[in-house]
Amino acid sequence: MNKLAIFLFLMLSVQVNAQIFTGKNGEINFFSETPIEDISAVNNKLSAVFDASTNDLVFQLNITDFKFPIALMQEHFNENYLESDLYPKSKFIGRVVNIMDEQATVWGDLTIHGITNSIKVVGSFIKSKNSVSINSQFIIKLKDYNIKIPKIVMYKIAEEIEVKVNIELIELK
Amino acid sequence: MKKTIILSIFFCSFSVKAQDHLLNLLSQDKPIYISYLFKGTKVVNGQSVELPSKGVLQFTIQHRFGTLNSGFYNLYGLDNSQVRLGFDYGIKDFLAVGLGRSSTTKTIDANSKLRIKRQIKDGFPVTIVANFATYVKQWQYTDNQLDNFLFTNQLSFAQQLLIASKINRDLTLQISPTLIHYNLVETLDEPNDKYSLAIGGRYKITKRISVNAEYFHQLNDKINNNVLSFGFDIETGGHVFQLHLSNSSAMIMPAFITKNTGNWLDGDIYFGFNISRVFTLYK
Repeated sequence: MNKLAIFLFLMLSVQVNAQIFTGKNGEINFFSETPIEDISAVNNKLSAVFDASTNDLVFQLNITDFKFPIALMQEHFNENYLESDLYPKSKFIGRVVNIMDEQATVWGDLTIHGITNSIKVVGSFIKSKNSVSINSQFIIKLKDYNIKIPKIVMYKIAEEIEVKVNIELIELK
Repeated sequence: MKKTIILSIFFCSFSVKAQDHLLNLLSQDKPIYISYLFKGTKVVNGQSVELPSKGVLQFTIQHRFGTLNSGFYNLYGLDNSQVRLGFDYGIKDFLAVGLGRSSTTKTIDANSKLRIKRQIKDGFPVTIVANFATYVKQWQYTDNQLDNFLFTNQLSFAQQLLIASKINRDLTLQISPTLIHYNLVETLDEPNDKYSLAIGGRYKITKRISVNAEYFHQLNDKINNNVLSFGFDIETGGHVFQLHLSNSSAMIMPAFITKNTGNWLDGDIYFGFNISRVFTLYK
């Protein structure tokens, strides 16, 4: 019992001394290829935190920060598909479970459109003394996040969306 | 053993909290602007607080038919149609200009809309847009030869403050104090400046269809009827399709606010529609 208390105390003290990395202006973009029209959007305000002591990794973004080349697409994205008035943020709460040759495997919960799914993502994870560079790409399925696409839309939307993430984290002093 | 389990559960919950704590590091308290108060740049006939986005050209074809009470001989008004063609362009996200021409009154109109303030979630309650418009009535060569012809007499102006609030995701209400100035009025007693107050709104029945209503109340020297209009906005991808019922057939403010003779109760109801298509010129 005593040992356990000491262990716990030790864990706590590790948490206090944690090396935390944060980034605010990461880039996330998505791309959906269809025979009729390609849809893409970019968000340059992705933020993330990595805690080196626990390997916790979290991401967060505002849906309204996604910029589309066509304003009407952006309107429909916010109003009809992602419903950003109800679900203004998307977040990922996870943990780096394995790092090998600067390739990391990350497990966690991704929340989009108010719906949370567990996902596993592999990407490049380059950690230096006071920065971490993360680069990854993965696929999400719209129906997993209850994003409904009507049958009559001018531009057809693919069921699967390719997402690319690129962010640089700096040690929080 | 039990205690270890309890402790490990406690530890687990602690570690989840740690992740939440990490998320808190990210929380930026920046204002969330309320967008998309209306589907179109017009409520029905009058302007809404919406502007075309930067680099977007919106082409609008507006049609108004004759009164529904004009009988089968005129196919309940469909024989008598008038049209306004309009272009609106977003120079900036907060500034747009427009140009249009109405067939019946043969009037060319130019307007600019400037967004002054935006509604903020849990903050500033309304979006405010200023709208300025100039109207030029066209003339023919023979008019030009008359001794009393003056170019300035062909002009009228409108100035509006559009104040709208998105009450919830479906309901938006707008109030618009409006000043119309006519350079030329019909009698000496008639004032050149006419004030009115518009009340309008939209209610979304589905994600893509909304019901709109609009009423202009004339505040001084009311000669003609106040205009009351209802509309349906149907959005299909790149188009917004609007169906209207109104007691005015005019599509420009100097005509429909103060010079409207139609009366709903007498059945002077005009059916009309707008189709608008957006083109992205500049990305």
